Amino acid sequence: MRPFTYVRPTDEASALSFAVQPGARFVAGGTNLVDNMRLDVERPRVLVDIGSLPLTGIEDRADGLTVGALVRNSDLAEHPLVTSRFPALAQALLAGASPQLRNAATVGGNLLQRTRCPYFRDPASACNKRVPGSGCAAMDGFNRSHAVLGTSSSCIAAHPSDMDVALVALDATVHIRGPQGARAIPAADLHVVPGDRPDVETVMRAGELITHVVLPDTPFAAHSTYLKVRDRASFAFALASAAVALDVQGGVIRSARIALGGVGTKPWRSHEAEGALVGKAPSRALFATAARAALQDARPRKYNAFKVELAQRTIVRALSTVGGVT
Amino acid sequence: MGHPSTRVVQVARRERADCAAIDRTSSGHREAEARAQHVHRACDPMQTLSLRALRGRPIVVARAEHDWAPSAEEPADVEALRAELRGLGAALVVRSMGVAWLLGADDVAEPRAEGTELSELDAETGSAALVLLDPAGSVRFSRTLAPRRGLTAALVDSLRAARSALSARQQLPRTISRRDWLMTAIVASFAAVFLEACAPRARSGRGPAPTSPTAPGGAAQMQQPANELDVVLHVNGRDHALRLDPRVSLLDALRERLALTGTKKGCDHGQCGACTVLVDGRRVNACLVLAPMVQGAKVTTIEGLAHGDTLHPMQAAFLAEDGLQCGYCTPGQIMSAVGLLAEGRAESDDEVREMMSGNVCRCGAYPNIVRAIQRARKAG
Repeated sequence: MRPFTYVRPTDEASALSFAVQPGARFVAGGTNLVDNMRLDVERPRVLVDIGSLPLTGIEDRADGLTVGALVRNSDLAEHPLVTSRFPALAQALLAGASPQLRNAATVGGNLLQRTRCPYFRDPASACNKRVPGSGCAAMDGFNRSHAVLGTSSSCIAAHPSDMDVALVALDATVHIRGPQGARAIPAADLHVVPGDRPDVETVMRAGELITHVVLPDTPFAAHSTYLKVRDRASFAFALASAAVALDVQGGVIRSARIALGGVGTKPWRSHEAEGALVGKAPSRALFATAARAALQDARPRKYNAFKVELAQRTIVRALSTVGGVT
Repeated sequence: MGHPSTRVVQVARRERADCAAIDRTSSGHREAEARAQHVHRACDPMQTLSLRALRGRPIVVARAEHDWAPSAEEPADVEALRAELRGLGAALVVRSMGVAWLLGADDVAEPRAEGTELSELDAETGSAALVLLDPAGSVRFSRTLAPRRGLTAALVDSLRAARSALSARQQLPRTISRRDWLMTAIVASFAAVFLEACAPRARSGRGPAPTSPTAPGGAAQMQQPANELDVVLHVNGRDHALRLDPRVSLLDALRERLALTGTKKGCDHGQCGACTVLVDGRRVNACLVLAPMVQGAKVTTIEGLAHGDTLHPMQAAFLAEDGLQCGYCTPGQIMSAVGLLAEGRAESDDEVREMMSGNVCRCGAYPNIVRAIQRARKAG
């Protein structure tokens, strides 16, 4: 691990002032950043520990449930307002990582975690995300875990988060503060596809800090679920996952949200699949049509073609759960 | 078991029987030894000392400046040497006037010819007065120093220090690798006391031997960067003021700086759970937390669970259900299980398995780990 200067500010203003220094990075739980620093993948020069900032509240406000950026994943998963009103979020959180990691990992850190592409995590491999212009060893390498949606000729790394997929399906907004003031970004727009700049992963600018996330009350949020398919029963990243939410009234789907994990280069919202559902009566055939629509633009590589079928089955099963279809 | 040292003793005894009959029942042990030595010296050729045959246990090789023989030393000192060697499971070779004396725990001390192995050792270590070999035969320590007072007394003191360091460690749960701390204890304590017994000139050097129970290659040996921090860690009810590099993980601080080696380093990437500790009562991976990040928090390690000799109920349950095989993952499993019960959610076996998924056991002791946790949970 490379040397760095460690600072632990106790208020947001000083945290932001440290963050504008060259090579500064925020650290909260450390479960991803410290790991990547040890791998020499991340090389911050200034580590700004925000563990003392007062961003740990969960409050029910007029615009929705407000969740501080430093709320631990385990606390959020267990919060009664989350389990009752946003079940997909609670399920996604509990499907991620291990109890130890969830006790340390925060909401803000989960949103900004880096890919687990093994070539990204290996400084000896070519990786356009880690070293722009160096190539992509995954493209023709062992790419079984990689993305099939949102890929480019530069990068096929899958976004690893479970929580973010649920946030996208639940229309959450991410609130940010930085040198230019505060702004709010829909969770679905926080991350960007790699294109020819896979090193740019979000719309956040240097020195900006996630302060909180807002979960709005929607007619579909309470009828949501998260289904994760992986190589083993627990403590593994998704091969494919789906956060789905349906508002069904009078036997007709009024609104729907479908977001995918494990198959996209970012937490993947499928407007195509949602469009296929709205205005129609829930049925297994309809769900299969929506699932096909979600994966119609999939571009698999040598070892991950199975994800195209797997993701569709995952969507159908998740929709069947919330849509009351057997 | 064909332990190398046993074979050496057997060979020596057979040879002795060939040379002359020794009546050990009619004379005292020491007398018999002296006679055996006498017989041996008269019986050509003298057996050559084989260091290789002694492998499997630590060996101390000491060079005496003057004529040295067990029979010429204080009998109490020689007995003390044997007792310490027995406690350590180590062998002692003293070289004097062209012969090598092998002193084990119980076998009769015999003069041996210095073979090629000792010459090779000389080539490796120079004319060192003291060399420590680990069970694999590698040199772990060597110094060209002579003790101020007698060699035997210095050896007794040094071995005693090593053994008391060792028995202090034996208070810890039995899940610690014996071999790992055996050599660390011998090298650290033995070398420190032996050097203490040597000429003052030797002590003015720049700390030639580790004097704290810090493992070799640990954080203490890292080069010091400019931005070290003063950090107070609250561990198992005690405050520890440390100056450390901010790169030091909580795991390394516990193990290398506070000598709390019950917390294990497995993968160092948060994937195995061997390093699980409680921070403010919640289980986390100590490898992924930098030490300065837990300032002000209460850290509990496996060493902090028991009250004196009374085990924590989870520790007792792991013993009762045999929830381990090699034991390396066990401190992490137990800490994680304590955290699990505090969370108060898992009830069924399936739920326990799911909520223990952050702790890997390569021996596959999972069924009994689940039983142990259920036993502790049901006992409340």
